[in-house]
Amino acid sequence: MIGSSPLAEAFWRDGRCADCPVYDMHGHMGVWHSIYFPRPEAVDMVRSMDSAGVKMLIFAHHASLFSPDVGHGPAIEAVRQFPDRLRAYLPVNGVYPEQIETDLALIDRHPDVFVGIKFLCDYHQVPMTDDRYRPAWELADERRLLVLAHTWEESKYDGPDVIRKIAERYANLSLLMGHSCHGAWDQAVQLTRDFGNLYLELTAVLDNRGVIEQFVEQAGADRMLFGTDLPWFDPHHGIGALLSADITDEDRHQILHRNAERLLANPV
Amino acid sequence: MVTPEPLCYHHLPVTVARKETPLGSAETELAFFDANAFIGRPVQGVARPAATADDLLAEMDRNGIDRALVWHIAQHDLAPVVGNRMLAEQIGPHDRLVGCWTILPSCLPEFPKPDDLVAQMKDARVRALRVFPEPHHYLLRREVLGPVLWTMVERRIPLILSNARGSGWPAIYDLLDDLPDLVCVTSDYGCWGADRWFRPLLDHYEHVYVDLADYLLDGGIEALVADYGPERLLYGSGFPVQYPGGMMMTIRHAEIDPADRQAIAAGNLDRVLGEVQL
Repeated sequence: MIGSSPLAEAFWRDGRCADCPVYDMHGHMGVWHSIYFPRPEAVDMVRSMDSAGVKMLIFAHHASLFSPDVGHGPAIEAVRQFPDRLRAYLPVNGVYPEQIETDLALIDRHPDVFVGIKFLCDYHQVPMTDDRYRPAWELADERRLLVLAHTWEESKYDGPDVIRKIAERYANLSLLMGHSCHGAWDQAVQLTRDFGNLYLELTAVLDNRGVIEQFVEQAGADRMLFGTDLPWFDPHHGIGALLSADITDEDRHQILHRNAERLLANPV
Repeated sequence: MVTPEPLCYHHLPVTVARKETPLGSAETELAFFDANAFIGRPVQGVARPAATADDLLAEMDRNGIDRALVWHIAQHDLAPVVGNRMLAEQIGPHDRLVGCWTILPSCLPEFPKPDDLVAQMKDARVRALRVFPEPHHYLLRREVLGPVLWTMVERRIPLILSNARGSGWPAIYDLLDDLPDLVCVTSDYGCWGADRWFRPLLDHYEHVYVDLADYLLDGGIEALVADYGPERLLYGSGFPVQYPGGMMMTIRHAEIDPADRQAIAAGNLDRVLGEVQL
């Protein structure tokens, strides 16, 4: 068994813990070109969520992210299929600025589906600070929405320097730094210290031993959010990594559910 | 046009009969034998290194890991002969640790000849070998490593092939085309979808194993077990780069037969290393 804490015992024994419902703040859905997914669809993913005690997943559908020709329909359909378990981010793509206003209107049209906006600037190769994204940032700030942004090391599209410029402009939205500026851990921590509305999202961070302890110590567990890229990564793997990390169960409660519950308490 | 018969035809395909048992057993006890851990402080750093075997054992105890197949980062960062000696000194007093050394080509006098190497391995409780072709400036080919590779085939000594440290997929495919009976373990292949890389090797070569340290894929273990059986999968922690508990928890709650979980957690590596003839 991994460690001896009450949470470790519960998750090891049962795979889930009633006192610690998990909120996965960074998921996807559907097939994608580079990876074979055994469980890509909503029904498969909810089965994985059940196994690990994941109460809620907030996701951006691969179709929404990678094919403007398919768009957001699959995400809407999935949330309607599992309204108690799924919510979606609305992805925006600066390559197609004429589409952004139309897409943003979906947030008001489907308030039961979308809880925020997703930026995937490294893949779309348009910087977060590009003017084409201004309507999305302004809407998110005005409505105090969640924003999940893929953030990575020294990227000119969504690295720490770019994030800082965004954070200086928009103080009302909650910006989840997806992957916590992967690799630029010190800068990610500094951003959370400088801006109270920034959070460290842990997808693909949890396989980097030592980073969780650094984040808890330097940024605080109240600024960290659990994520898995589901269906990319097994939620049990992420939970096991948190149990393996040299932190307290109180920290784990914050990371796995309390912070997310607080953020999601604000309706769109 | 006639389709040529594959060189490794006698290994095609590998099929394993599956047992029909209920999923989700309440069994909680699992013994773990880690196929992928190193000690020593890397030249380029790592957040929390385990400088010594004692450090590694303390972390294994904290996580509930029984045994480990371990190597020393100095084998990669400094020189195989020095790192191999450092590893032997570190693991010597600790029966829970089995050694994995690093080899170099046989064409120079800097590294022991195969017979001497085997004798030294036996003395040092070393039962597996690694290669780092790219950083150590040679090609992973029969022409380069031939004598030691033939010895490894004959004695069933596993070769650990780390993608992250210089063993690329094309070279691995070429090597196994030449040496289809080589026991080898694919390792450190990254977490971003490796099935299309390693599954053809599982299809064609029955002595290929997969270190799961990087295999974070949701439902991946269940899919692999359904297609290949549990025998080819090895628990690896990726320590100290990764948290050991991630893959432990994944295996613990994989929706497979409890006996298959135990095989993946420890039994398969135990069997592979038990078949080594030194």
